[in-house]
Amino acid sequence: MFGFLKKVGDYTQDAVGAAKYITQGLGVTFDHLRRRPITVQYPYEKLIPSERYRGRIHYEFDKCIACEVCVRVCPINLPVVDWVMNKATKKKELRNYSIDFGVCIFCGNCVEYCPTNCLSMTEEYELAAFDRHSLNYDNVALGRLPTSVTSDPSVVPLRELAYLPKGTMDPHGVAAAAPRAGLLPEQVLASMPQAPASTPAATQPSASDSAASDA
Amino acid sequence: MSSPAVVTPGLDLQASFLDLLDGFGVSQGLAHLLWLPLPMLTVLVAAVVGVLVNVWLERKISAAVQQRIGPEYAGALGILQPMADGLKLLFKEDIIPARADGLLFTLGPVLVLVPVILSWLVVPFGQNLMISNVGVGVFLWVALSSIQPIGLLMSGYSSNNKYSLLGGLRAAAQSISYEIPLALSVLAIVMMSNSLSTVDIVNQQTGAGIFSWNIWRQPVGFVIFWICALAECERLPFDLPEAEEELVAGYQTEYAGMKFALFYLGSYINLVLSALLVSVLYLGGWGFPLPVEWLAGLLGQSVDAPAVQVITGTLGIVMTVLKAYLLVFFAILLRWTVPRVRIDQLLDLGWKFMLPIALVNLLVTAALKLAFPAAFGG
Repeated sequence: MFGFLKKVGDYTQDAVGAAKYITQGLGVTFDHLRRRPITVQYPYEKLIPSERYRGRIHYEFDKCIACEVCVRVCPINLPVVDWVMNKATKKKELRNYSIDFGVCIFCGNCVEYCPTNCLSMTEEYELAAFDRHSLNYDNVALGRLPTSVTSDPSVVPLRELAYLPKGTMDPHGVAAAAPRAGLLPEQVLASMPQAPASTPAATQPSASDSAASDA
Repeated sequence: MSSPAVVTPGLDLQASFLDLLDGFGVSQGLAHLLWLPLPMLTVLVAAVVGVLVNVWLERKISAAVQQRIGPEYAGALGILQPMADGLKLLFKEDIIPARADGLLFTLGPVLVLVPVILSWLVVPFGQNLMISNVGVGVFLWVALSSIQPIGLLMSGYSSNNKYSLLGGLRAAAQSISYEIPLALSVLAIVMMSNSLSTVDIVNQQTGAGIFSWNIWRQPVGFVIFWICALAECERLPFDLPEAEEELVAGYQTEYAGMKFALFYLGSYINLVLSALLVSVLYLGGWGFPLPVEWLAGLLGQSVDAPAVQVITGTLGIVMTVLKAYLLVFFAILLRWTVPRVRIDQLLDLGWKFMLPIALVNLLVTAALKLAFPAAFGG
């Protein structure tokens, strides 16, 4: 008899607990109804890509020395460097350069290792095409600069969360001049004491001293 | 709490229409024949418009809950989005899978939709604002809703697809196990109002406005009925038959175009219907939170005056629809609050929890009816 009553009691407790939790959950969802949408209305609004965004690769033909380092550091040897040896000048003559962005994984190794900095990452990410072969960019296409989100008059640029002023969660209507939370790298550098900045200069003579003493 | 004698006849459109045609010299039989299709068409249109509103609400509220905007460009605030969805389905190719059973495949969605629309027969929007005051009203609805699982099973079986079959079986199991507590909680209401007719059930809840609604006398029944209704509609905590993560789309997997639209329509009409029936059974139907007779008396008007009748009739429709859509809102909110239950949890809840509670609720109601006949409709 008591066992049965205990069972009924446990049952009721379970039901009341479940009802409590469901009510709590309903409170949370109901509260969300009055919050502003956090979505970015894409073709009309766009997020400003972060500084180190790894987008489509930009390439400067005139800087390239056709060393093929980009090909060697690429995980799949993707860049195609088309050059011929000029027998007369004994120098490489670059004819064409291309990267297929249908295959590229945007790892940025080529940019990292390029000795002449002729490769760089842009903030362009809208690479949709009707034909995958049109994603194979030649040196002309690679040399184009993307339209910046901030300079496009048909787009409302929105800052990403990390770039918003302190305490702001909504990127809408934030003034362009409003500083982001935290310090910029320059500001961090400026706020540092001068001593560490002069250490390399201080170590230079000591290294030469030791070299001199060794000698 | 109030005897039917107090209840005013209210707006009677049929009588007015027949009188009008009689005035034009149309014979009684012809006038009746002309009247017949009007309420049916009205209810059919109301049901479809109700679904359109429901789809729009579902999409907008879901978006708001998830901090999105939702449909925005099809009409102002996206109100034409459900129309666009429907039109798209209308124009899509009607596909019957190669090795499917064509007849059953076609019959399935029809068998799902027809009982749901037929159930609108018994939904009252006012004293005389319903297609037919069937004496066995609620029972008819319970009986009709049992036809649905046959259609689901049929479409699940005939699709020749493992997901469809599993979805159909789940739907059947779910419908059968939630039918019983649903019927039991309806039985408690029926016992209190001494009638199966939906009009009588609402009339029994008039008199003291919001305080005479059944929800105060049947709180447990209300909760059980609502949970079971959600399960019958396959709404989210109980949407296992079409659980997209496990079963693609359940019994709807192989359906496209208009046949899929029939399922879609059926599920949403069913949701509106369930909400309407909850408001009829537990929330006083077309009753205003304050008694209309009292309000009319306060304004010094007779309840039988034509103008007052029109106003109370309109108020009745507005109240019924408002209550129903509040419940729909609650269902949508619940959809984004509660995770889906497992099939064993679902059956556990139905058989081991709802059924005993509904039985106890019925017994307690019977005991209270014997003990306090005045308050519990003796």
